[in-house]
Amino acid sequence: MARINDVGGTQGFGAIDTTDDPEPFHADWEARVVGLLNALRAQGMFNTNEFRDAIESMPPREYLETSYYERWFKAICVLLERKGVIEPGELDD
Amino acid sequence: MTDTDRLAPGTPVRTFHHDPPHHTRLPRYARGKRGVVIEPEGRAELADDSARGLGNARVEQVYAVRFAARDLWGEGDHHVVLDLWESYLEEVPEGER
Repeated sequence: MARINDVGGTQGFGAIDTTDDPEPFHADWEARVVGLLNALRAQGMFNTNEFRDAIESMPPREYLETSYYERWFKAICVLLERKGVIEPGELDD
Repeated sequence: MTDTDRLAPGTPVRTFHHDPPHHTRLPRYARGKRGVVIEPEGRAELADDSARGLGNARVEQVYAVRFAARDLWGEGDHHVVLDLWESYLEEVPEGER
């Protein structure tokens, strides 16, 4: 089966919220995560598709329980560990 | 159409049905489905390859492919158009059209 991100055509998630939200971020840390991602991609640390793959590889339950930018941050951590920039568990504290 | 654009507009195609263990741009609801090529969209790095960070991603033609909603979900009178890389597609053989 496809991974948990791939739910197009699946029932049970309710209606899509299409209301306009003028605020791009709802906490400072969200904006920092975007900045972190852009800086790492600009350095060639990883590409957009590697980033998407890392998000989609999250365990299904964790994926469903985390917010959009939390997924981004977790994916960045996974990739930094894979690329040897940080040690496994280095960010656990 | 150049020789790299294997699939002419109007060609009936079928999408792959396997489940790759990495990022892909073919959604689950469109796997193993029949559609029709609308037109080539240009060549691009295959996302499935670049997602693995191997640094040697294949560059393939991307096609706009039209699917009948009924073929995807068993109902609906509309169509869905997806941009799909060439290796996601195989031409439907003459005898199966």
